Amino acid sequence: MIMTDPRSDGVLVRYYCTAGNGMEHFLTGEVKRKLAAEDVCQMTGKVLFSSSARIDRVSELKAAERLFLLLKHDSPVQLSAHTNPAKAASVLQSRLFGDRSQWTNAVVTWSRLQGELANRRTTVNTSGTALGMKRTMKEGRGSEEQREEEEKCNVEIGKSTAEQRVEGSGTRRLRSGEENGAQTLEKKRKREMVQSGEKISRETCGVERRMVMDGNVKKGITSETDLHGKGSAGVHTTAGIDHNVESSSRRIDDMPEDCAVENVEHVKTTGEEEKTLLQPSRITPKITPSVPVSFRISCKCTGSLSRHFSTQELSKVIGVGLSRLLGWKADLKNPQLEVNVYLSDDHCLLGIPLTRLPLANRSYMKTTGLRSTIAWAMASLAQIQPGSCVVDPMCGVGTILVEAAQEHKAACFLGMDNDDRQLQRANENIEFAELGNRIHLLNASSMALPLASATVDAVVCDLPFGRKFGTKTNMATNLPVIVTEMERVLRVGGTLVLLLSPQLSFLLKKLLAQKDTEPMSNQETQPQTGLLDGRSPSLPSRKLQTFQIHQGLKPSPTKETDTHSGVQQHLPPPLSSLKHQATLRVSLGAIDGLIHKYVKIDA
Amino acid sequence: MKLLTHNMLTSHVKGVTKGFPLLIKATEVKVNEVEFNSQFVSRMIPKLEWGALVQAAEELGHRQDLPGELVPNYETNEDFLKKVHRVLLEVEVVEGCLQCPESGREFPISRGIPNMLLNEDEV
Repeated sequence: MIMTDPRSDGVLVRYYCTAGNGMEHFLTGEVKRKLAAEDVCQMTGKVLFSSSARIDRVSELKAAERLFLLLKHDSPVQLSAHTNPAKAASVLQSRLFGDRSQWTNAVVTWSRLQGELANRRTTVNTSGTALGMKRTMKEGRGSEEQREEEEKCNVEIGKSTAEQRVEGSGTRRLRSGEENGAQTLEKKRKREMVQSGEKISRETCGVERRMVMDGNVKKGITSETDLHGKGSAGVHTTAGIDHNVESSSRRIDDMPEDCAVENVEHVKTTGEEEKTLLQPSRITPKITPSVPVSFRISCKCTGSLSRHFSTQELSKVIGVGLSRLLGWKADLKNPQLEVNVYLSDDHCLLGIPLTRLPLANRSYMKTTGLRSTIAWAMASLAQIQPGSCVVDPMCGVGTILVEAAQEHKAACFLGMDNDDRQLQRANENIEFAELGNRIHLLNASSMALPLASATVDAVVCDLPFGRKFGTKTNMATNLPVIVTEMERVLRVGGTLVLLLSPQLSFLLKKLLAQKDTEPMSNQETQPQTGLLDGRSPSLPSRKLQTFQIHQGLKPSPTKETDTHSGVQQHLPPPLSSLKHQATLRVSLGAIDGLIHKYVKIDA
Repeated sequence: MKLLTHNMLTSHVKGVTKGFPLLIKATEVKVNEVEFNSQFVSRMIPKLEWGALVQAAEELGHRQDLPGELVPNYETNEDFLKKVHRVLLEVEVVEGCLQCPESGREFPISRGIPNMLLNEDEV
């Protein structure tokens, strides 16, 4: 094992990360703060940045979904509506590929970063054992074991490819069971990609075989129309010639066998395809110049280009073009690297994923509740300082607390829930993450917090809503009491961060708006009723939008008004001390959530 | 339940004006070694009800020689911080109950987690 510091300081690498909707600016802030990132470029769903920080630090970003090495970021590819398919393919290839050296350099960088990541993991594991850390809990170490197993395959480079493939796919199959629902879309997308890739592979295989059998190498039969016809043989032949003699001959020798296996597997294991190919490229033996890089294209296309090509066609055009340009070979099942291509009306973006699992999958979490990236974002808004005391009055499995405690080593966290099973899971999570000395749990009701007034520095809470939580308690009815309790325990200057459903968000805004108008006359409060009915023209668009969702979900507006007035009756002193700071919309998958931030002021 | 948590807990049973500090009736106490973080401990000290902490430690037989009054300049006194660390984070009540000093209401502690839930008629 190499024990040298995997430092890459001084070498500026350009990356991009994907991020959930609404998470982009959290990620932008994070890369600037933690990685001293330069040239940060934020776009919908993605953040591009350059950093010379070590890759292990980059891979510890909390607000990101997945991490990529940037290959290319350019203006969008525009085609006139009348461009014929062959011409379109040609334009696309010339726009996307550019210089060969750009690709070969990127692969060298990618390979180096992969090596550094693997080293880091090995080092972490070893030092963990050496220090005798409590890494031997009996139950539920499944994912940890899998991880170690994976790392073993990654490190043992000496193993034959075939062996790795078997082990690899086994591990992946196991792991895919853990993937949470939020990745269903990803799955779908992957499946499309797989299907399209499969076509390329079959074609490529056929081509290669023919090439071997004929042994005839024709140069220059690369007219673009071939891409859609049988003539793609010529395409590959050219690639062979571009390559040096040694490599191309070796490639040709290896190829038919590989491809034959591949084809058989496609037939046999179609059912498993989706699972085994769910994850992006594994780290396979080191990339050396004499062995062609195996790759797979993952393509996503929106806007005008999608009228010219289907995703499958695009993957094919790009895949075949890359093979030709670089002598790489398409391999869907177990490629060394995956090339991700995003094409939209705003930009085109190419990159190679750097980690097999999304960064959002936390290795330190056993049971996931709220999406970890959002939990982290909420904690980052809570202005937690050394010595802060942070409370989550409805902590569930403790996701927010774990994310917050990872980031703030000198703060104390108190999690409460009125559900024993949730607390049990929270307890397991906390032990698993080894945070038991800083996160403490209580069985308590958010309606009556067992804490003295003005003793807490921050309250962070994901208010349960949605199908997952049923309607055991009526959150809408209890909201005023819950928020009042939160406000009571906060010290002046303390922060309140809440994640709310659109309808709870609307309710809370209404609740807090009341306090502003309360000292005024009845006439003044009249517009409030208007607001309640959603007819107020002065509503900002976000409020309106929220309101519509709210309306859509509530079958009876009259009942709603009743609830509201009922609420007013047992509403303790108005929440006039909560000063609104921000409302941020984030995607929770099926629906959006709203993060509200308040600071308690001396009212 | 660690004594850091205990130091924050109050009883809010109906009619109670000062439900603090809760009396600890422990049937099982364990002491776990926990990594010492001097910054954490010295930052937590000003937030503590010192008297309540010493009293709780005394009840559990883990007071060591902690003084009844907080010592000055404790930030630089590592020996002192380590004692506080032990009392705050290493001593843990696994089973037992907490009793409201005013109403006498008992809150059970099970598997280290206090149950502070109140019945409807107590709120």
